[in-house]
Amino acid sequence: MILHFLTQAVFWFLVILTVGSAIVVVFNKRILHSAFALLFTLCGVAGLYVFLSADFLAASQMLVYVGGILTLIIFGVFLTARMYNMSIPEQTHQRFLALLPVLGLGGIIFYVLNSAEWHLITPMVAPTTENLGKMLLTTYLVPFEVASMLLLAALIGAIRLARPRKEDHDD
Amino acid sequence: MNYDYNLSAIAVPLILAAGSVLVLLTDVLLGKKAKDSAYQTTLTILALAGVFCFTRWGTGGSAFFGQVYTDGFTSFFNLAFLTVGFLVVLNSPNYLIRNGIDHGEYYMLILLALLGMTFMASAGDLLIFFLGLETMSICLYVLAGFHKSRAKSNESSLKYLLLGAFFTGFLLYGMALVYGQVGSTNLAEISNYLAEAANPLGGYMGIGLALLLIGLTFKMAVVPFHFWSPDVYDGAPTPVTAFMSTAPKAAAFAAALRIFYHPGIELGIPWENVLWVLAVLTMTVGNFAALAQTSVKRMLAYSSITHAGYLLVGFLASNELGASGMLFYLFMYGFMNVGAFTIAYLVNRRGKGNYNLSDFAQLGTKSPMLAALMSIFMLSLTGIPPLAGFFGKLYIFSAAVQEGYVWLVVIAVLNSAISVFYYLRVMVMMYMREGEDLADLEKAPTVAITAVICGLAILIFGLFPSPLLDLARASIIALL
Amino acid sequence: MIISLNHYLVLGAFLFCIGVAGVLTRKNAIIILASVELMLNAVNLTFIAFARHWGDATGQIFVFFSMVVAAAEVAVGLAIIVVLFRHKESINIDEVNLLKW
Repeated sequence: MILHFLTQAVFWFLVILTVGSAIVVVFNKRILHSAFALLFTLCGVAGLYVFLSADFLAASQMLVYVGGILTLIIFGVFLTARMYNMSIPEQTHQRFLALLPVLGLGGIIFYVLNSAEWHLITPMVAPTTENLGKMLLTTYLVPFEVASMLLLAALIGAIRLARPRKEDHDD
Repeated sequence: MNYDYNLSAIAVPLILAAGSVLVLLTDVLLGKKAKDSAYQTTLTILALAGVFCFTRWGTGGSAFFGQVYTDGFTSFFNLAFLTVGFLVVLNSPNYLIRNGIDHGEYYMLILLALLGMTFMASAGDLLIFFLGLETMSICLYVLAGFHKSRAKSNESSLKYLLLGAFFTGFLLYGMALVYGQVGSTNLAEISNYLAEAANPLGGYMGIGLALLLIGLTFKMAVVPFHFWSPDVYDGAPTPVTAFMSTAPKAAAFAAALRIFYHPGIELGIPWENVLWVLAVLTMTVGNFAALAQTSVKRMLAYSSITHAGYLLVGFLASNELGASGMLFYLFMYGFMNVGAFTIAYLVNRRGKGNYNLSDFAQLGTKSPMLAALMSIFMLSLTGIPPLAGFFGKLYIFSAAVQEGYVWLVVIAVLNSAISVFYYLRVMVMMYMREGEDLADLEKAPTVAITAVICGLAILIFGLFPSPLLDLARASIIALL
Repeated sequence: MIISLNHYLVLGAFLFCIGVAGVLTRKNAIIILASVELMLNAVNLTFIAFARHWGDATGQIFVFFSMVVAAAEVAVGLAIIVVLFRHKESINIDEVNLLKW
């Protein structure tokens, strides 16, 4: 009973953490605050992955998103915002007009999700890492290799663009 | 036949993958001495892949546990992508050298974008389709911004990336909901589900497929998700624009046919109505916007939206003739658009560099050959017989009439009639206008050769459309 | 109350809509990228919830690849932003002439 209560408490904590910080990301006007709020969203989502017995992906989430993507984003904020004035409030345009399609979309999705029956989730299963590893090298071998080409393209492309230009001249 | 670890099933993408690394290596090792080594290597690789694709035409079945299909449909689209890739690469050096951006990475990214497209056309699983699409998109984001020193190119690239990533979210959400309903991401199992379910669009499926369609229509530049394309096409380097406006569009339609083309499965009236409205909007909005343009590059960008609308008509008809008409049209559209963009680029060099229509003045007397080729492209885009563009439209529209979409075809034909105005404006300018003193055309052999190949292909397939149509039809039958 | 599939689905949809709102209302390119990441996280959560429901690892594989793609997109996106910043000293999309939507 206590275990059940604890599980519930942790779940709702994670939900509030995720949604709350996501709202900060989007509606806070200070860019650096947004970037740091993203950290909490990503961690909250990783926690929810554990609830869904996706242990391997929870670890990947921490490594790829928190360790990689978030670092890149914060790096970008520091690189582009003027270093001495980190908290420039940024203008937003017709916020209420832009929210209309969001509300429409949200309404449709909520309607559909709620009109389907409520599936109960069965208890935990064993760790998934071994299973995933096997699948990546059998059924999903080709996607695995395509992903490697995708990363190669991103790597070369990013280097080509970000490299300071010496040799280029204008039209 | 189901070979699982069958490397020959993915021969074309394998050649492209190995080739992209080879191009990078030759550029690093030989690039200093022989400036065009990367260029020549790329052309060789594309030709090799084309020969492979042609001699080992798909015979059906799938490989790698149902991840890729090895049927005629795959081979047909591979050939189309490789052709466009070859033509674009062929005329690129002129632009790249002139603007000081002749880096080997350009060719490598084109090869990798083609690799992504081949996987989109051969996808047997939503996962491989998604990865192919993203490989293609990431290469295109970089290619659009390849002219780093021009702010316009940067902006085009940023706009493409932000919106592309945004719509990837929708696409992926659609896939998640489809997976939630079906319990599998395999396309064969999804179509089994659609065939057996009492209410195919019930549960999460309807909104899942709708979100998937939104993601795809973004890549096709279908109204209302077209707003990125004129700016992005305008800002990107011209050879890249020629590439972006043809091959990815073909890849997106190929994937749409793979996912949604299930003859015998009725997705229901709402689905048809949505496609109907999308087709009408796309044709009309693209057309009227193209009318207002003074820049030839922007005019071609808007007109490519219109052409996506015509293709949607075939997609809606979704019978054998309509689908094979789409394949025919997509193949020919590659020649028409690449040809038109290359000539626009060459002619642009006479003027101030903003692709003004007046740069075309007196082209008919100064360079009759180029003017004749441009006329072929314009007439074919309009759909005048006996050019290839006419037959593409004919097949698509007659398929739609067969399925009872008479009003849709009436609107499509009216739109074609409107498009005469802006396509012929280019010809009027070439043959009937006195221009102020414009510089002579420079000699650009590779660009001229590209235009000649495109023009010949349009003439030949216009006069003898049936072999290609038969091939397209066989590919569509293989899809079933 | 037992935590069910729908809890996760509704949470995913909510997170997705927050992300969409961010893309539509914000002008800073980096925050738009961050909002897109929110959308992708929402989708990943949905995928994993369905994978749990079906007892099938395909959904988890899908999420693994979507993380790869997200990382690649952000890397290229920041490279583009850096190049643009060299030109413009600004990454507010209003000052980027073409980026009006």
